[in-house]
Amino acid sequence: MKKKLSVGAWITCLAAVLTLISLIVYFINVGGTGYFHNIEVKNLVLFSILVIVMLLCAIILKTLDIGGAAGRAVDLVSGALQIGAAVLLAIILINLISSRVEGLAFIYFSNADVIKEVQTAENLASATTTIADMVLYGVSLIFAIVGSFCSLRKKNS
Amino acid sequence: MAKSKKLASLMRGLAALMAVLLVLSVIGAGVADKYRSALDDTLGTQSYVTITDADKARFKSDYATIEEMAAAAKNIAIREGEEGTVVMKNDNAALPLADGAKVALFGLAAYAPYPYNSGDLKAGNEDAVDLVQALKDEGIKVNETLEELYMNKILNKHIEMVPNRWTGVEVPTETYDIIYTNAPGDMANEFRVVEVPPENFVSEFGLDANWKSSIESDTVGIVVFARGAGEGNTYNPGSAVNYAGEPTGKDPLELSEDELAIVDVAKETCSKVIVLINSGNNMMLKEIAKGGAHEVDAIAYIGIINDYQCTGIARVLTGKVNATGALPDTYVADNSSIPAVVNFGGDYYADYETLASSNDPRFPGVEIGNSKASSFGGSATYNGGHYIVEAEGIYVGYKYFETRYYDSIMNPSFKANSAAGATQAATWDYNKEVLFTFGHGLSYLDYEQTIKSVNVDKTPEGEITAVVEIKNNSDKEGLFLAQLYVQQPYTEYDKTNLVEKSAVMFLNSGKVTVPAHGTADVTITVPTKYLASYDYKAAKTYILDEGDYLFTAAAGSHAAVNNFLAAQGKTTADGMDTDKTGAVIKWNLDSLDTTTYATDNGVAVTNVADDADLNYWTGKDTVTYLSRQDWEGTYPVNYNEVEIKVNDSPRKDEWISLLRGEVYTIVNNNPATEGTDKGLRFDTTNIQYNQLESVKDPFWDNLVSQITIDEAVGAVIHGGSRSDVLTNVDNPVVIQNEGVSGFTTGYTDEATGKTYKFNIHSQTLMGSSFNPQLAYEWGLVEGNSGLWIERYDLWGTGLTLRRTPYNGRNYEYISEDPMLANRIGYGILLGCKEKGIMNGPKHMGFNDQEHNRGGVSAYMTEQKFRETDLRAFQGGLDDAKGLAVMIAFNRIGATNAAHHVGMLQKILRNEWGFYGLISTDMMNNKYYFNPESMVMAGITQVADFGGNDNHINLGEGGVDATWAHISVDTVKNDSALVEQARENLKYQLYTFANSAVLNVSTEKVATWWDNAISTITIVSAVLTAVFGVAWIALTVLPEKKKEA
Repeated sequence: MKKKLSVGAWITCLAAVLTLISLIVYFINVGGTGYFHNIEVKNLVLFSILVIVMLLCAIILKTLDIGGAAGRAVDLVSGALQIGAAVLLAIILINLISSRVEGLAFIYFSNADVIKEVQTAENLASATTTIADMVLYGVSLIFAIVGSFCSLRKKNS
Repeated sequence: MAKSKKLASLMRGLAALMAVLLVLSVIGAGVADKYRSALDDTLGTQSYVTITDADKARFKSDYATIEEMAAAAKNIAIREGEEGTVVMKNDNAALPLADGAKVALFGLAAYAPYPYNSGDLKAGNEDAVDLVQALKDEGIKVNETLEELYMNKILNKHIEMVPNRWTGVEVPTETYDIIYTNAPGDMANEFRVVEVPPENFVSEFGLDANWKSSIESDTVGIVVFARGAGEGNTYNPGSAVNYAGEPTGKDPLELSEDELAIVDVAKETCSKVIVLINSGNNMMLKEIAKGGAHEVDAIAYIGIINDYQCTGIARVLTGKVNATGALPDTYVADNSSIPAVVNFGGDYYADYETLASSNDPRFPGVEIGNSKASSFGGSATYNGGHYIVEAEGIYVGYKYFETRYYDSIMNPSFKANSAAGATQAATWDYNKEVLFTFGHGLSYLDYEQTIKSVNVDKTPEGEITAVVEIKNNSDKEGLFLAQLYVQQPYTEYDKTNLVEKSAVMFLNSGKVTVPAHGTADVTITVPTKYLASYDYKAAKTYILDEGDYLFTAAAGSHAAVNNFLAAQGKTTADGMDTDKTGAVIKWNLDSLDTTTYATDNGVAVTNVADDADLNYWTGKDTVTYLSRQDWEGTYPVNYNEVEIKVNDSPRKDEWISLLRGEVYTIVNNNPATEGTDKGLRFDTTNIQYNQLESVKDPFWDNLVSQITIDEAVGAVIHGGSRSDVLTNVDNPVVIQNEGVSGFTTGYTDEATGKTYKFNIHSQTLMGSSFNPQLAYEWGLVEGNSGLWIERYDLWGTGLTLRRTPYNGRNYEYISEDPMLANRIGYGILLGCKEKGIMNGPKHMGFNDQEHNRGGVSAYMTEQKFRETDLRAFQGGLDDAKGLAVMIAFNRIGATNAAHHVGMLQKILRNEWGFYGLISTDMMNNKYYFNPESMVMAGITQVADFGGNDNHINLGEGGVDATWAHISVDTVKNDSALVEQARENLKYQLYTFANSAVLNVSTEKVATWWDNAISTITIVSAVLTAVFGVAWIALTVLPEKKKEA
C-alpha cells in the first residue's frame, strides 16, 4: 500500500494527523485552567473525527485496484471526501474563531487599566493554546486543500 | 488521459478551495455581523445610519451649529474648574495670586496634570489648555528655568514610534521620559511615587548648580502633586516606593519624602508656597497642613482635570472669580483613622477552599472559592470565597468624624474620646485626626451665610424648603456657596433599635451671585423623605423620630455641627473648637412617625436585605456594627481576621446556594406562551401620547407578548454592548457608549473636517463644585452632545460613594456623602433625560473597591444598604426618573448585585418607580453571573461584547452559547421566567420610546467589508459549481472516450 501512495496521499495523511493533533490541543484547551476552561465549540469534536475518517477513507479508497465504472465512482467518492473534509475543516476553523474571539478580545484588548488583571498566567496560557489550535486547524485546512489538488495514487500503480 | 487526470485533480483542488472560501465567507459573514460594532470601531466603518425624523422629533439640540455646541461644552468645563477648585488652606494671603505674579511651578503634575493622556477621562481636543498655559493666559509669569527643566529634561514629552502589537506597524505615540505613576494596580505591592527630588535636578538632569538664583525672591511657588487611579485598580496601604525605587512602607496616598523635599525647596526659594492636589483619591496632607513639619501657605484641591478645567482653575488661583468649591470628602491626618479602612480589601472565609459545589447540576465540579482574587474575581469559579464587612455602617467620612466630635462634647457617656480609632494621640481628638472636613472651602470674599427659614412638608412627596441669606461683606461682587445641613434627633428608641444617626447631615447646596456689600437669598429644596432614617430592627421601614430637627447653613460639616452644639448651649468651655457659630432653625416632630415614609410609590417599604448582614448567616452576633452610643465598644475590628466558616453556619445550604448564584431555579411545570406576531411595532404610529405616558398602557404588554421565548430570554442575557432589533418589534439598534466624562465618540464636521470631543467633564470637580444647578446644565450639554453625535445611551456618570480613599474608581465618583452624590446625580440625569438621552450611572450596589470586585461579598446592615450607596443613586433614578443604571460587579451580602431582587425589583422598580434600563457591568464569568437569576432580578440587558445574539440556541446542540443549561427546551416550561424576561424588555422598550430613540430609525448599510464578503460568497459559489462540474466531467469523460 505504501508503494501505491503518492505525495498527495501523504499530504492528505498529514492533514488527518494535524487534525488529530488539533483535536488533542482543543481538549487540552477546554480541559485546562484559564479563560477557555470548559468553553466548548459547537460540533468541533464530531467534525474533527469526521475529517480524519473522511481523509483516511479517501486515501484508502484510492489504494483499491478497481477499474471501470466502479473505479470512476471510487474516484468521485474519494475526491468528494477530500473536498468535504476541507469544507468541514473550514467550518471547524471559523467556528473555533467565532467562539474564541470575544475571549481573546477580553484578554488582549481590554482597556489599559484592566489588562494587567485579565492577563493572568492561566488566561494567557489558555489564549496561547487556543491560538495555537487555530493555527493547527488552519494548517490542517491548507494541507487538506493542497492534498485535493494532488492525485492520491501513484501514476504507475 | 494523464493530462485529463491532472486536469481533474486541478479542478478538484480548485473546487475544494472555492468551497472552503464559500463556507468561510458564509459563516464568516455571520461572525462579522455578530461583532459588527467592534469591527466598525476598529475599521472606522459605519454599519448603521441613523435617520432622524426632524419634524416629529421631541428632542432637539439647543445649538444651531456644532461650534455653538462645542462652546457650550467648553463653558461647562471651565466653570467646573472655577466652581470646583477648593481653597483648603490660605495663609499669608498666598491666594489669590497678584496680577502679573511670578510663579515657579514644581512637580511633574504641574506640567502634565493627571490624566496626562487622552481617553475616557480626557477628551484630547486640539484646543485643550494645560495648567501652564492657563496660568500664562491669566498673565502669570512662569519661571522659565524650572519650566525648561521639567518640560525638556525630566518629562521630555515626545513622540515615539511604537509598533502595533498585531500589525507591527509603527504608530506615533505620545510618551514621557519620566512621569508619575498613572495607576496603582490591583492592590499591587509596590506603588512608586515618582517625584524627582531637588538634589537630582543637578546631578541627574544637569541643571545649573545655581538654578535657585533664577527664582526671584517675590516668586510664588506652586507645587502640584498627583495620584492616578483606574478601572481594576485599588490602592494598597503601605505599598509606597520612592523615586529611587526603595520601598518606604508609607501609604501611597501619603506625601513621600521626595515630594516633601520639593515642598521644602519651594519654601526655600519662593516667598510663598501653594500646593495643588490633583487627585480623585484623598491624599494625606498632614505634613503640609497647619502645624505640619513642611507647612505651606496654601493648599487647593483641583481634582481630575480634563481639557478645559485648567482655565477655570487658573481664574480661581488669580482671583478672577471667587473660590466657591468645597471638599466632597474628609481629609484626615492618617487614613487608618477611617473606620471603613479597617475592613477594606477583604480576605477569604476560613474554609473557602473546602466549599465544594459538586451538587450543582448546572456546573458540576465548579468551586465556590476563588483561589486567586484579583480585580476580576480570580479563577473560573463562582468567585465567592472573598468578603468584607462594612462594619462602619452609616458612619462614612464626615458622618463618623463629626458625630464623634459632637458626642465628645454632648454625650460623654458615648466614649467618643476613647482610644478606639485614635491615630494621632493616645485618645481620640477630632482636631488631631481631621485636617479638612467635608464641605470645607475658603472664600476669597468675606461673607456670612445664615439660615432664614425652613419649611418642612412632611408628606410622602413633600420637600424641605430652606432660605439661606448670603451677606457679602467684601467690596467685590462674587459667587458664593450656601450649604444646608440638618441634625436629626438621636433618641432612646434609636439606641435600643440601633438606628444610627449622624450628628450632622448634608442636605443640599446652591450658589448665588451677590453684589459688593449686598445680600441675596438662596432657596434650597430637597425631598423630605431624606430626613427619615431606616430602622431595620423594629419598624423595619423608614422612620422619623420624635424631637427637634435642627437646620443650619454653614461652610462645611464641622461648622454646621458647631452651630448645632452652640444652639444646644455648648461653648468652647465644653470643648468646642470655635465660638464662631451661626443660626439654627428648629423643626419639631412631637411623636415617632413610622408611617409617612413606610410606603413609596404605593408599595410598602420594608426590609429586603436582612441577609446582607453577616450575623444572619453566622446565627450569632459575630459582627458588632459601629454605633455612636458606644464608640469604644463598637469601633470596628477587621472581620477578615475573625474566623468565619461557611460550613459552620446554621444556614449553610442557603448560604452556599447564594454564593453559587442560585437566587432563582428554573422550573419545568408551568409552560410559557410562545410569542406570536400581532402586528404591533415600535414606531410612532403605534406609540402615541398614552403609550408614552405610562408603561402600564396595555400596548406595552401586547408588544412584548410578540417576542418569542428564545428571543425574550436571549435578548436579556445577551444584551451586549448594543441592543439589537427584536423580531416582531422592529425597534432600532441602540448602541451603548462610555463614559463618565461624556460620550467618548467624537463628532466630525464634514465641512471642516474638524473633530469635536465632548467627554470634557470632570466628575471630581463637579462634586467639589457643590452645585446641582451646574450638574443639571452639564446634563443638558451632555444630552445635546448625544443628539449631535446620534448616540442615545451612555454610561455617563458615576455615583457610587467613596467609602474609603483607596478605591481606584473614586475619580469617577462624586463624594463620600450620599446626599451630595444624590443631588449631583439628580442634576446630571435630569438634564440628559430632558434631551432624550439614556444616561446610566455606574455602579449601583457598593462598588467600594475594585479589588476582587467580581465576586467579593460586602456584608452590611440594611440601614447602611439604604442610606449610603443606594441613597446616592436615588436622586437620579427616583427623583429625576433617570433612564438607565449600571449595576455593580460585587455581591451585597452573598448575593451578586445583579441578582439582587431586593435592590432591583423591590427598591428600584417598585419603591422608586424606576422604569429605565438596568444593565450589568461587563459579564465576564458565566459561573458568577447566573442568567435566570439576573432575569428574575429585573436586569434588562446583560453586558457582553456581542451583537445580533438575541438567542439561547446558538451553542452546541441548540443550547445557549454561554450557559449550556439554558435553552428553549429548559425555559419553555417556566412561564414566570419567560414573562419576567418580557417584562424586563417591556421596560427597556418603554424607555427607548421615552428617549430620542423613538424619533430615529436605524438603517443598516453595507460597509466595504460587507461588500467584500458578499463578493467572495457569490464568486466562490459560482466557481465551486464550475470547478466541481469540471472535476466530475474530467473524472468520468476520459474513460467514456476510451471505451468508445
